[in-house]
Amino acid sequence: MNWPAFWLSLQVNAIASIIILVAGLLIALLLARARFRGKILVETVIMLPLVLPPSVIGYYLLLAFGRGSPLFEWFNIRILFTWQAAIAASVVVGIPLMVQSSRAALANVDPVLENAARTLGASELRIFWRVTLPLARRGILAGMILGSARALGEFGATLMITGNIPGRTQTLPVAIYDAVQAQRYADAHLMVLVMTGLAFAGLLLARQLEPTPQYRRTDDAEEAVYDSATHR
Amino acid sequence: MMPKKPSMTPQLTVDFIKRLGRTTMEMRFTAEAEILVLFGPSGAGKTQTLHAVAGLSTPDSGQIRFNDTIFFQRMPGKPVVNLPAQKRRTGYVFQQYALFPHMSALENVAFPLGRRRDARDCAMDLLERMHLAHLAHRMPHELSGGQQQRIAIARALATEPHILLLDESFSALDRPVRERLHEEIRMVQAERRLVVLYVTHNLDDAFAVGHRLAVVRDGRIEQIGRIDDVFTRPANRHVLDILGIPNAMSARVIETGPSGSLLDWDGIFLEAPPINAPSGAEITAYIRPEDIRLVYPDRSLSRMVIHNHLEGIVVERRLERHMYRLRVALRDGRLIEVMYPSSLYATMNPLPGERVRLALRKESIVVIAPRERVLPPAGTILPERVPDAGAIDPASSSLT
Repeated sequence: MNWPAFWLSLQVNAIASIIILVAGLLIALLLARARFRGKILVETVIMLPLVLPPSVIGYYLLLAFGRGSPLFEWFNIRILFTWQAAIAASVVVGIPLMVQSSRAALANVDPVLENAARTLGASELRIFWRVTLPLARRGILAGMILGSARALGEFGATLMITGNIPGRTQTLPVAIYDAVQAQRYADAHLMVLVMTGLAFAGLLLARQLEPTPQYRRTDDAEEAVYDSATHR
Repeated sequence: MMPKKPSMTPQLTVDFIKRLGRTTMEMRFTAEAEILVLFGPSGAGKTQTLHAVAGLSTPDSGQIRFNDTIFFQRMPGKPVVNLPAQKRRTGYVFQQYALFPHMSALENVAFPLGRRRDARDCAMDLLERMHLAHLAHRMPHELSGGQQQRIAIARALATEPHILLLDESFSALDRPVRERLHEEIRMVQAERRLVVLYVTHNLDDAFAVGHRLAVVRDGRIEQIGRIDDVFTRPANRHVLDILGIPNAMSARVIETGPSGSLLDWDGIFLEAPPINAPSGAEITAYIRPEDIRLVYPDRSLSRMVIHNHLEGIVVERRLERHMYRLRVALRDGRLIEVMYPSSLYATMNPLPGERVRLALRKESIVVIAPRERVLPPAGTILPERVPDAGAIDPASSSLT
């Protein structure tokens, strides 16, 4: 078992998950609520990483962070071939799942509830925190878990932009590849099991969260409770 | 929580135009401390009117004002005002209850009170007021529809609104539940001197709860007035249709005098009460179905007037609560609706297919305004009653 790779993967995934949550939620809000020109183009671009080969994503990331890119020249961001590059790859592949799921959850919140809150004097910010967000909570969490799980398994793009330096930039999926290349099958077995376990747990959790249960409406037979209470 | 001082008369003035697809709404009315029922077919613009008052939608032009507070204003030469919904203090009760499903009853009612320290106590008082204190910690999905709607009312009252908007609020509820809620609404309205706009498409509800009735059609108010006035003096044919008043007719005045008038209803001559219209005028009228008598076949017509006597074949008979409703086809095919208590005419018991004779009391013919009502020019507020609504018989104005 390659422990440094395991811990690095967890570290990368933790940071990536937070970015996926925040950025993904903002994008989902924008797509669910705002109306603007070219919205469908933005949606499509966000979803692209779901279908592009990892090498293409890796190539774009090399362009985005490499010498001559705005991020490199103007913002002085130099993360290629460091472990932080793995975060970038993770976020890019994880965010479409987050956006998809949380956008649907936000769109599912009954606008009548938000209107009700408005007539009750609540500010738009308060409505978001107290009404919209809690009601979309499950879908948002499910999206984050799916996105994180996908990010944890990121291999191709990560391999291209982190340089696969054992102990420094090597994540668990890449370490498995290495182990197999070097015919260290015992190592590979264990890591494969760990990866499978994590992915399985993540998907299971997401499944449990995903379908927001329909709030059951009881029939008016329960009016009897009212009767007994008022005619005491 | 305190009732408003009775000296102050709250007044909501609504006067706006809004384009909605193919129709253009032109809403004009004023409401005071009362329950004004907005009645009309779906799509007539009733809910849109409530939305415009609450600030959930923005009209194209006009003005909506409560006392001195301008909710909305877009008029030439005046500054544009569009007060956000949050600042209008209107209580809105939705048909689907719209309780926050992730909050308990108490939390729902406390929601509009925000971070006030006494929020929970206030909310509890309101729940008690609606007889729901014992359910304070239930979640909405654990409550019946009637209970949910009572919580929604308590929540709407928590903002201490001046205006209460009920949008088909009780139409999903059973009759007994609805009746109790109507009682509550009437009490709350009187206690707090609220302006209540009550949207419904159920006439029973309108009678049960309303002080005044506004008949809405195609984004306009056809008639507004006390409910019994609207029923006994419908302003035009549209109001007749919307209120579901049967036996509407267009007729021509043949002659009229102080004791009565004679009408020509496409070849049938009818004696009617005196009419405020010259001979030859076209008028709209209707025959009250409950004022039509059946004539026993073995009885002679000697005491009946020659005119108000019709013969036809029963095409349909329905029992509605304690009344029979007959549809009788006259010889030329036109249908007349007759209503009578189920205890009457037991020996005759007219069934579909049988021939019946009908006698109309002169007073059963209600003549409404001889001309179609014309809307006043934009910017003015409609008069509360429709003037010169033709002749009516005050003795037979009980329709309930």
